[in-house]
Order: sequence, then C-alpha cells, then structure tokens
Amino acid sequence: MNEMTMPGRQIGRSLPRLEARDKVTGRTEYVHNLRLPGMLYGKIFRSTVAHGRIRNIDVTAARAHAGVAHVITGEDVRKVIPRPFYGPAFHDQPVLALDKVHYVGEPVAVVLASDPYVADEAVQLISAEYDELPAVFDEVEAMSSQAVVHDELKPAGTFPDLKHLQGRRNTNVALDFHLRRGDVDKAFATADRVFEHTFRTQQVLHLPLEPFVSVAEPTGSGITIHTASQSPSFVRIEIARLLGWPENRVRVKVPYLGGGFGAKLYIKLEAMVTALALLVQRPVKVALTMEEQFYTLTKHASTFRIKSAVNKDGRITARHCEVWWNGGAYADIGPRITQKSGFTAPGPYDIDNVSIDSYSLYTNLPPAGALRGFGIPQLVWAYESHADMIARELALDPVEFRRRNILREGRPQATGTLMRDAAIEAVLERLAERLDWNKSFDRGSGTVRRGRGLGIGFKASISPTTSIAIVNVAADGSATLYCSTVDMGQGSDTANAQVVAEVLDVAAESVRIVHPDTDVTPYDMATLGSRSMFHMGNAVRLAAQDAKAKLAALAAELGLPPGSNIPLPELFRRKYGMQAGNVIGIGSYVPTYESPNHDTGQTSNATPYWMIGGTAVEIEVDTETGHVRIIRIINVVDAGKPINPKIVEDQISGAAVMQLGFTMQEKMLFEGGQVTNASLADYKIPSILDIPPMISEAVDAQQHDGPFGAKGVGESGTFALSPAIANAIEDAVGVRVTELPITAEAVYRALRTAANDPLEDA
Amino acid sequence: MYAFTYHRATGLRHAANLLEKLEDPKILAGGQTLLPTMKQRLASPTNLIDLDKVEGMSEITAAGRSVTIGALTRHNDVHKSPIVQQAIPALAYLAGLIGDPAVRHRGTIGGSVANNDPNADYPAACLALGATIVTNKRKIAADEFFKGLFETALEPNEIITKITFPVPKKAGYYKFRNQASRFALVGVFVAKRPSEIRVAVTGAGSSGVFRVPSFEEALKKRFSPKSLEGLTIPADGMASDIHGSAEYRAHLVNVCARRAVAAADEKTPAE
Repeated sequence: MNEMTMPGRQIGRSLPRLEARDKVTGRTEYVHNLRLPGMLYGKIFRSTVAHGRIRNIDVTAARAHAGVAHVITGEDVRKVIPRPFYGPAFHDQPVLALDKVHYVGEPVAVVLASDPYVADEAVQLISAEYDELPAVFDEVEAMSSQAVVHDELKPAGTFPDLKHLQGRRNTNVALDFHLRRGDVDKAFATADRVFEHTFRTQQVLHLPLEPFVSVAEPTGSGITIHTASQSPSFVRIEIARLLGWPENRVRVKVPYLGGGFGAKLYIKLEAMVTALALLVQRPVKVALTMEEQFYTLTKHASTFRIKSAVNKDGRITARHCEVWWNGGAYADIGPRITQKSGFTAPGPYDIDNVSIDSYSLYTNLPPAGALRGFGIPQLVWAYESHADMIARELALDPVEFRRRNILREGRPQATGTLMRDAAIEAVLERLAERLDWNKSFDRGSGTVRRGRGLGIGFKASISPTTSIAIVNVAADGSATLYCSTVDMGQGSDTANAQVVAEVLDVAAESVRIVHPDTDVTPYDMATLGSRSMFHMGNAVRLAAQDAKAKLAALAAELGLPPGSNIPLPELFRRKYGMQAGNVIGIGSYVPTYESPNHDTGQTSNATPYWMIGGTAVEIEVDTETGHVRIIRIINVVDAGKPINPKIVEDQISGAAVMQLGFTMQEKMLFEGGQVTNASLADYKIPSILDIPPMISEAVDAQQHDGPFGAKGVGESGTFALSPAIANAIEDAVGVRVTELPITAEAVYRALRTAANDPLEDA
Repeated sequence: MYAFTYHRATGLRHAANLLEKLEDPKILAGGQTLLPTMKQRLASPTNLIDLDKVEGMSEITAAGRSVTIGALTRHNDVHKSPIVQQAIPALAYLAGLIGDPAVRHRGTIGGSVANNDPNADYPAACLALGATIVTNKRKIAADEFFKGLFETALEPNEIITKITFPVPKKAGYYKFRNQASRFALVGVFVAKRPSEIRVAVTGAGSSGVFRVPSFEEALKKRFSPKSLEGLTIPADGMASDIHGSAEYRAHLVNVCARRAVAAADEKTPAE
C-alpha cells in the first residue's frame, strides 16, 4: 500500500479490496485447485427423462472400464446415509436418484477414478431404463396438473409455516402464502378504475465463472469438506444430520469463491462428496462443468397476475397479487422466496387493502432457488410495469403517479410493519433528478425512437438469522477476525476489516481475516440475501467492542488510569512479563422478528431492515428490427451509510449488469424438460460490449441499527432494471412487453401486432 | 478434445502432400472454429496440418480491377489493409465486424470461407462481389463454391490459396448482430458491379448464403433503398432457431438489404 492511512477513520473509506493483488496475480486458492493425496474424481451420470421410475441402471461396462475405481448409485449411498434426502425447506432431494427421477439432468450415478477424464469416459458407458411418468413444466399448470412431481411432501421442520404441508399427497404446491389486509373485495367493488395485468419471467441461472466444486476427505473420526459454498455453517449442520453425527465431527472449509449469486447455498455437492468419500474411504472431488450448472440450480420462472383498484385522484385503493413460482423438481429455498419476497408483492406503495396469494410449485425442471434478489426482480418486473401502464391509462406522469402512492417513512407496509429507514422517496426523487425527468427529451425520429423509464423496488431482509464473530487481539496488538461470512467477490473481507479497524482504531489493511472453517470460525447463518453487512457487520462490531472493553479492563486491572493510551504490546508485556497472551472479543447478533400470522400474513416486525433499489434508463428502439439500444442506466439505492463507497458502487453496477442479461437476452430453453442451450456458446450472458454507460449511487441514508449506519446492498441493483427498460420501450414506441427476455424479435413482434399486421408465428 | 497428431506444414506443397497421404486430415488455418469444435468433441480429426508457418499466403495485392487476398490473411489485416479500404471499403468494414479482437487476429479469410459457417460474414461478400476462390488445383467461382451448411465445392485434398475480388462500383454490408456473440443473425452484402447488381445474404438461410434475385432486379431499375421497400422474401427456406424465427429473419433480410444499399452510397459504411 502506497497510500498512508490514518487509523480512526476507517468507515466511508473506498479502500481497495484487501485480496485484489493476490487475485489478479493468481495467488488466491480456490477449491478447484485443491488436490489431496489419493484423491478420486467423481463424474456424474444424469437422468435423460423429466419424470420416471428407475427400472434399471446398468453400470457393468463403466465398472469394467480401465482406470475406474468405483461406480456408485443411489442405493449404495444408503450404506452411509440411510435417509439420504436433504434441503433447507423440504427433505426432498436425494444425494443420487432413488426410485424416481424428477428432472432431466438429475444425478443418477457417479463414476470415481483417479483421472477425471477416465471417469468422464466411463460415464458414457452407463445406461439406465426408466418407466416414464407424465411431467409438468409450467408453474400455473402445476397448480392443477394430473402430473404430480413428488408422491408425498416432506417439510424439513425448520420453518413453522411449512409444518401444515407434512405428508400431503397429490399436490405440487410446496407452499401457499397468503396475506390479507383491509377489505379488498369492497375496495374493488367501489373503485373508480380497475386494472389487471399478467407478467411472466423466464428461467435463467447464476452461472458463476467458478462452477460448483466440493472435496470431501475422511479423517478417521470425522470428515473434512472443502467446498465452494456460501453457507459453511448450514453445510456442517445438514451433513451432521444426514450422518447422524455430532456437528464437531464435520469440518467445513471455504476459501474465496469465484462468484456465488445464491447458487452455492445449502447443500449442492457436499452431501454427494461426503457419501462418496465415506463409501470408498478416500478423498473425493466433484467439480462440475459449465454445462452441469444448468442442471443444478436456477432462478424461478414466475407468473404474476396483479390487479389494482385506483380512484379518480390516481390513488391505489386496493391491490390483489397472485404469484406462481416455478420451483423445479426440488424445493431448495423456494418456499422462503414465496413467503419472504411474496409479502412485498404489492410494491413500495401505501395501499390500505391488499391481498396476496403466493404459491411455490414443484415442476419437472431443474431446481430453482435463491438468485441475487431472492424473487424480488420477478415481483418488481410486474408491479413497476403495472404502475406505468396504469399511469398511462390515467394520463398521469409515471413519476407523479408513484409520488401519490409511495410508501412513506412510518407508514404500514402490507404486513402491517411500519416502514423505518427506508429511503423510497429519496430514491425515486434522485432517479427523476438524474434523468432530468422534468426537462424535454429528444424522442428521436424516423426508424430510431427514444424513450425513458424508471422503476423502484424494495426488499425485506431474511429473518430471523444469526451471525457470530470473534476478534482476536494478539500480544503485539495485531488483530485477527474469525467469521464465517464467505467472500465470493462482494468485498465482505474488506468491509469487515474496516469495521474491526474503526472500533480498534487501527488501519483496516492491518486486520487479518480467517476464512470460514467450522472448526475455527463461529456460526453464521449464510452469506445470502444481502444480509452479511448488517448481521455479520453488527456481530463484528460487537466482537471488536468486546475486545476493546476487555483491553480496557486489562489496563484497569494493571492500575492504569482510564483512557490511558498505553501501546498494546506494552499492556500485554506488563500483564504476562513477555510478548504473550491474547484478548478474545466475541460478538453475536440476532435481530428481533415476529412471525407473520398464518392466515393474514400480518406482523409488527417483518424485517430488521429494508433495501431499496431503483433504476432509470434511456433507450433507443430501432422500429424496423425491434433492437433496443440502452443509452444509459442510472441505479440509485438506499444502502444506509456505506462502509466502503467504491465497493457499494461496484455491487450496484454488478447487480444491474447481471439483471441486464436476464432482461435482454438470457433464457434457458427446454424441449421435453431437456435444456437445449446448456453452454456459454448458446446461452449468452452480457459481454463487455453489452454494457451501456452506467451511473450507480447510494442516497444519503442511515440504518439506525446497522453497523455504523450500514445495511446490505448486494441485490438492490437488480430490482427495477427490467421494468425500467420495458417502461422506456413503451415510452419510445408505444408497445408493452410483459414477458422476459425483451429480445429484438419480441419488440418487433409487439410493434407489428400494435400496427395490426402481426408477424406470422414461428 | 480427442488425441490427434499435429503437423506443421513448411510450404503449400508440403501441406498438400500431407493432406494427400495422412489419414483423416484437417487443415488448420487460424482455428477459430476448428479448435473450439475439437474441444467440444464435435470434430475429431486424426491429423491436423497447420498452415500457420506457410509463407507467401497472406499478401494483399491490387491488380487491374481486382483485389487478391492470400488465404492466410487474418481478418484484422483485411480490416486494416489500405488496399482493401481503398478498393472495396465494404469488405474492409465487414472484416472488422467478425467475432472479437482475438478472433480477428487469429482467424483467416481462407479458413472462414472453407468452413462456410451459415452465419459467417465472408461468404456474403464472396457471393455478392463475384469472387473467385483459388486453390492449389483450380479456380472456383463463388457461385459454384458455397454448397450448403458448412459444405463447399472443395475436394478433400484441395487447399484455398487466395481469393480474388473484382472491384465493384459500389458495395455495402449491413449486419444485424446476435447479442453477445456478434454473429450475423442476418447479414446482407450488396454490390453494384459494372455488369450486374448482386444481393447476398448470410445468417438467414437454412442452407447457407444465398442471393435474392427479386431484390437485384429492383435495384437494377434504381440503386436505392427505396427500390426495396415493400419487397418481401418468403419465410420458407429461412433458418429458425433459438436466436430468431424464420419469419423474423425473412423480415430482417429486407431491412438489412435496404441499409446495405444505403451504406454503399455513403463514403464511410454505417455501423
């Protein structure tokens, strides 16, 4: 570091990431690089049918293939894990398929060899026969379909609102969440105007450039799992449960990740490598290819029917939301999305009468789970498109329509929880200002028409969740932070170091971070849902304060006057007679929370904090081709008071670019449940050429109980980009797109349909 | 990727000999398509004959009313060539739209033409300009060369050595690019030659590059985008895939053709 850093002013510093140099010089360790003596590589044989009973798996030829050590099927797994079903919400997912397969790509068998290429070749020699069963792929059809994905529902027992589903049969509904506030029927009956629209989003996926990878290593009395996971503590608890072992026999170690975005949560490959390693008593590594990521975890496709009653002053008096989430073959965390995101479905608006019905559906597609935004982008896509469509019908300015309805500080949200530290209005006004909303705008001419649009969204934090941190001050005064937050590229190491440094009055660069290792670092719920800066940030602050208090107590014990600025090495020397000892500070943070009422969804405390994200865009539509060129993107969020403004800016713009891919180009395509574009050659994520000029900023805000006023920001840039673009398209050329992605062909078709000359169907 | 034997050809004759005698050979001329397909195990030649070190096959020369480009000339060199820029600016412009900088610095014109990818740019230029593909055995008119998806008139033991492009009076290329990949969803090359007008389309056809006689007729009357207004081509015969439907592609052919004509009339081709 060339920069001279003054201790004591660590918050609000745009400190470059502490690990940046190691990463760009190739020194950072990833699980993909890990090789252990005697290690075997596993390659997975996957289902080719969407739904079927397994009649026979023939592994004879694979077993006989030169160099193959073992071939393992689902029945073998039972020898080490008698009930091999896992999942955070339902215990529905087998380590390897048992009895039935539920989607194309589901793991059925694994070949183990000391050469991964040999294992790969042998996989091609396995064959399986299935009795095919009727399959269901669409989330709305799954509500009433004759095809039932799972014979019986098996909730995990972790979440109270899933208990009523225990043992249910003949249903694909993995959670039905309902919210009722006010008198919706009456409000609709007496409304001046009623608007109803349906919006859909497509199935997409995270595609971290580091695909899923896990290694398990039997250690005699226990097992060590090296894994690219966002949730080491969950992995330990769930693996211990599967094995029937105490937690302390399972060790989970996580280095840096090459991206996660919600994919690497809960159990992915960890149960598989554990079972394999215990069966063969050797270390086992399973590293997926880019293609296999398409068969592992995706983002929920969704259908959202939204209906609003609006009075003549442009005030929304009632809103009814019906949301169907396509969860794929296994529930993963889908039911949480259905509920946690479901209750924000009416949007950041002050509406007296609200009803929400949100359904988590099983289908025969690759499983869906958390993906940066946790369901919020799907909802904002609908409610912010709907907002502009209403404003247009009422001949109201879209910003003015939002101003009339916006959910202001202190007002109750749909759950009844009062809004606090939620800068919704500031975000909206800043977007309008940045867009020069009140100034005239060049609308283009000829075949190039220009438009602009915006949207705002909000999200509750997942709750209640716990974070614990340890700060260790050594005898020379240097500080080390032990915490299980996973730095997957979001910069949490740097931000947490800044928090420690601020409290202990040292430079953030001098704080060392010990990465997640469940033998060493304490419990953390997981690195997800933009929760770490708030939850772990608070735990880290408390741990550092605890250490500081203990140092003060030590000084007092040694007879030093209060506030004495004795150097720490001298303090330890006086106590121990030499450079020895340490001071351990512990911080534990769990916010308060009140579960929503099962029937009404009402609660006085739905979330510890609100995240606000808005996006405005200017675009250009080529009316002859439908091509949309984005001229500029403006993202504005409420992140509280940023600990590290540069990292906050990067998080916002990174999230927006990711959502840009989901908005304009990405879509998993299927034929009979088989993904047909499972490669980066056919499934195109944004390239550098697809990224338009962008401004990303946080409004001046403060989260009263956040660490130094901060809160989470990893997802806020995803919320409102999609509807902002659709709104701008309608502004430019008068057509409305209600389904993602907004391809050039989709826009061109909409233009032709609007001109009463529809392009023939393909 | 499957195992293969790599051979570095020292000259054209050496390459031709290797091609003659080796089992299941394949020419490597830049490898921007071949190597990825080998990695994906979609191609598995036993012997790879690399032309990279063969000299004298990457020159660009102008003679009379034509420009000749050596088969090993990289796309970037065509794009930057003062000779091509001066004589056929639309061709230099086209080369600058191929792939990305890495592809343009490795891929060669001969490799691209021999591969005849239905979405590649060069086939449209060759067909519209009435180019002649010269091999170590003979000369093949572009009209006879492109035979369908990835199919050409090349015999198994034939190597493209150079391509000769007659200089047109005017030419323009317009490419509607696929998001992210930048491949041509539809690309149209229009050339006004002393004797005729040609409109060649890449990306759209279900059997590769093709000409549009009705557009050529209309442009003969008056070389203007307006001449093509209202003209359509049938969706039958258009490709339909995850990137676009046949109907959309058929529509884009007209849009791209009009814009290519407009570009031909401009000093600097439009993006």
